[in-house]
Amino acid sequence: MVTPLLSFDFGQFMPPLLRGAGVTVGLVLASGIAGTIIGVVFGIGRSAPLAPVRWLASIYTNFIRGIPILIILLFLYYEIPLLFPYATFSQTITAMIGLSVYAGAYMAEIFRGSIQAIPRGQLEAGEALGLNYLQKMRYVVLPQALKIAVPPGIGFLIALVKASSLVSVIAATDLTRAGRIITSQNHAPLATFLVVAALYFVISYPLSLLGRWYERRLA
Amino acid sequence: MTIDFGAVLPYLPVMLKALGISIEVTVLSFFIGSVLGIFVYLGRRSGLAPLRWLAHGFIEVFRNTPLLVQLYLIYFGLPEVGINLNPFWSTLAGMTLNNAAYTAEIFRAGIESVPNGLVEAAGALGMRFSQTFRFIVLKPAIRNVLPALTNQFIVLFLFSSVGSVISLNELTSALADLNQRTLRTLEIFTIGGILYYLTSAVIAGSSRLAERYLFRW
Amino acid sequence: MSTPAMILAQDIHKRFGDLEVLKGIDAEVDEREVVCLIGPSGSGKSTLLRCMNALEKFQKGHITICGHDLTGSKTNVNEVRRDVGMVFQSFNVFPHMLVLDNLMLAPMKVLKVSKAEARERAMALLEKVGLVDKAKVYPTKLSGGQQQRVAIARALAMQPKVMLFDEPTSALDPETVGEVLEVMKALAEEGMTMMVVTHEMGFAREVADRVLFMDNGVVVEQGPPREIFDNPQHDRTRAFLSKIL
Ligand SMILES: Nc1ncnc2c1ncn2[C@@H]1O[C@H](COP(=O)(O)OP(=O)(O)O)[C@@H](O)[C@H]1O
Ligand SMILES: [Mg+2]
Repeated sequence: MVTPLLSFDFGQFMPPLLRGAGVTVGLVLASGIAGTIIGVVFGIGRSAPLAPVRWLASIYTNFIRGIPILIILLFLYYEIPLLFPYATFSQTITAMIGLSVYAGAYMAEIFRGSIQAIPRGQLEAGEALGLNYLQKMRYVVLPQALKIAVPPGIGFLIALVKASSLVSVIAATDLTRAGRIITSQNHAPLATFLVVAALYFVISYPLSLLGRWYERRLA
Repeated sequence: MTIDFGAVLPYLPVMLKALGISIEVTVLSFFIGSVLGIFVYLGRRSGLAPLRWLAHGFIEVFRNTPLLVQLYLIYFGLPEVGINLNPFWSTLAGMTLNNAAYTAEIFRAGIESVPNGLVEAAGALGMRFSQTFRFIVLKPAIRNVLPALTNQFIVLFLFSSVGSVISLNELTSALADLNQRTLRTLEIFTIGGILYYLTSAVIAGSSRLAERYLFRW
Repeated sequence: MSTPAMILAQDIHKRFGDLEVLKGIDAEVDEREVVCLIGPSGSGKSTLLRCMNALEKFQKGHITICGHDLTGSKTNVNEVRRDVGMVFQSFNVFPHMLVLDNLMLAPMKVLKVSKAEARERAMALLEKVGLVDKAKVYPTKLSGGQQQRVAIARALAMQPKVMLFDEPTSALDPETVGEVLEVMKALAEEGMTMMVVTHEMGFAREVADRVLFMDNGVVVEQGPPREIFDNPQHDRTRAFLSKIL
């Protein structure tokens, strides 16, 4: 057990792993932000006054949450070149689109729940003051919903960090893929992937702590 | 190439067979992992500090690292120390450990959510600890955890697709394969997505039915 | 005194960490006696009651209740609790069981009474608290007053020798307070030994044999309700009564 671990050459392999970790963090940030925006839009859409809007939002959030992220990524990976044969798309962009679509659905569900958690009296008070639908959303519902959504939102961000490892399958050079490339050179998968796992832990664990801290603060 | 779902329908049996493997590895890892999860939960509540730390460490490690990396460690890493598991057992092992870490937290939340007043009332009626747990805590706790457990079951099912990366021939692997063979990406992945979605929906629906049947209060 | 007291508490001291909640309480309840415990919130009334059926441990003093000595570490708390019924402010009925099953569970599991007998006893008690028609209903479907009557019947199903009530009507809507007090009054008239923490001064005046006024962890004064309410001896009692009446 010890020999394979000691065989890992940190000097040689840490730089590519850290670059990979940078890509992972960048992907999670970008798709986390995009997902939050999509999530707010579709989360509100779930309670829109227009039925077709509600249906559309509901189909998107429920379908995406019912299929694996890997299916989304593989589909985009194979389908985009068919749709745009002449465009040169970097795999990182494909990965980002896939993760954003995925994150959007989960964030939308989180916002839907948060909006529902706001007491009905708040909406009625808004109505009684003569606010229209958009004003009610903007000034009464959203500020409160966003606050409720923070802990589950952070929880999903942790899930997103881990799900992002699957972009390595479609050849985006994230942390996991950096690890795979290294194992093809050093033939030491145990040590290499332990280091990779440790780096994921370093990215994800502070988010866990942040989530717990925020929840304690709310309570 | 025009869209033609008819062209991929003959492959439906292949997909369904692969879906069977996805379901098999999910069900096995869910049940074994949940039993393990009960022990991890008990470890967290143990009077022995080292046991508590161990359980806590286990939970944090598995919740904060990707399943894919865990599978790489099991499938590619363990042979270095003489443990060789095939893709099925590797995937099963990884998913089981993962599920144990998540269910341990679900059980904790579920049991803590049973109001202390009920436990006290049972005590005031002269019931022993074991009786209180069995007759008063267990059913409400199960009711409280069922939605989270169902959700975990679905998430676990969806992440069984990661097994394809270490060449487990489950549904995602079959879809990638058929895609290469037919080049009908849209049709293959649409049908594959629908199969995943329907299975998730059936799990969610059964859980809701069970809930209505089991918990009438 | 002809018979030994049902409850005898002597010099009870109880602290939670640094907070001393009971500072040497003496209290006595005789057989068939109804004692009401009044006092401002936070004065230690619930804590005293909970010490009496071993839901809380105390650091110093003696309690004997129905012949059980709670001081020794050898006392079997479950045996004590078989003889002592308790009713909580928050009802604590078991939500996942039918009303009937709420009443049958402890007699069957703790006293090993047969199912048939437990059922018979339960139905008789439901008759008594006026809820026979709710036997096959889940308690979540009941009003607060009805739930509390179920909780009283559930405690009575153990055929206790003493009943402890901790503010049984404080969590109720005003219109359902009466039905619960009626049940308690009937119980007192049958000769049940009762200790009742309450803010219902009308009930205390009418039903209690004795009233104990507690403040800040001590019993400030006690006596027949007429004396306590109409002629309190201590400023603290007067101050409390003027606020609450
Ligand atoms: N489990 C506990 N831990 C710490 N403090 C407690 C606990 N239970 C009660 N106390 C404190 O003891 C004091 C008396 O409480 P209690 O007996 O409930 O008073 P009452 O029933 O007269 O309102 C209060 O200051 C309360 O905060
Ligand atoms: Mg109290």
